[in-house]
Formats: sequence, structure tokens, C-alpha cells
Amino acid sequence: MSGVHDMGGSPGGPIDKGQHEVQDWERLADAVTILLDKKGVKTTDQHRRAQESLPLEQYEALSYYERWTAATEALLIEKGVLTQEEIDAKSAELREHWNSQ
Amino acid sequence: MTPRYAPGDAVRVRGKDKYGHVRTPDYIKGKSGTVAALFGEYRNPEELAYGGDGFPKRPLYKVSFSQAELWNDYEGSASDALYIDIYEHWLQDEGEDA
Repeated sequence: MSGVHDMGGSPGGPIDKGQHEVQDWERLADAVTILLDKKGVKTTDQHRRAQESLPLEQYEALSYYERWTAATEALLIEKGVLTQEEIDAKSAELREHWNSQ
Repeated sequence: MTPRYAPGDAVRVRGKDKYGHVRTPDYIKGKSGTVAALFGEYRNPEELAYGGDGFPKRPLYKVSFSQAELWNDYEGSASDALYIDIYEHWLQDEGEDA
């Protein structure tokens, strides 16, 4: 059985070869994810597995770094570093802060 | 682990009977190839993915496949090859039952 990511060899349509401008939040997502490796919280293999375990509709709808953050979130919850409630509460707090700017 | 294969050996990629954190693309499962090189031994990513230590280390090979055999409508040269890195536990002897 192959995972959602295992799409090599299947029809994929044209490839977008355009340059992608990296967003600030994407740099941050990259930095946080790599730092969690350096701190010994998670590994690249675990992070790949978490990405590839995302539900198909999520995996296909999310952008590259959105998948990274979704996988990092799942691992932090799996390892008991944070709870879903804590993440949701912080997200709501930040959303409110940004919306008020 | 002592490597089971050497460059030049005919191998077949194991079928779809393996589950978990698979690092072998679906489109070469069950396909025949030839060992081109032995890279060395590395910790098993299928174990590492779930928090294991990945030991014992597994031999990792560079395996070549004929593009014309992989794709029904392949239009390139008959000698074109695709090289894929595959761990030993994903390979079996060519001719061995899947």
C-alpha cells in the first residue's frame, strides 16, 4: 500500500516551474522544524512520516510548508510537548492580535 | 549486516506486501533491476520514522531499472536507465517468489 505522497509515475499534469518567493512564515516554519531536530525533539524521518500520514485531502490541499507545520504540530502533540488545546488557543490569540493590527 | 548483493546482481523490488513508512516508490514495486553500487549501511528509516533507533543498519544500494520496462509508452532510448536508492530489506533475488 502506498501513501498519499507516493505519486511518482502517475499523471500529474504540467509542472509549475515558476520561482516561488519564500514568505516570512515559511522561513519561520523551516527554522522551528529544524531547531526541533537539533534539540532532539524529533527527527527528519519522523517528520516525513507525519507528513505522509496526513489525510489525502489535506495533503493535496496544503502547500509545502503548510504540510511541514501540520506535521510538526502532529509530532509535538504525539510527543506530549504541546496539546491540541494549547495550540488552538495560541492560534486564536495570534489570529485576534493580527486581525486587530 | 553483511551485504547480500553485489554490483551486477539481478534483483527484484519487493511487492506491495510491506506497510509503514516506505521509502521505495510504488511504481518500481515488483520490478526487476540490477545492483549498480553499494552505498554503505545506514539506520533503517522505517524504524526511525516511529522513534526507533534504526538498528541494525541496513545496506543501501543504487539499483538500475530499464526505463522502457518501467513505462508502457516510453519514447526514449531503449538503453535509458533509472537509478533508485533502495534498502536491502526491500529487495529480493530475481526469480524468487514475491
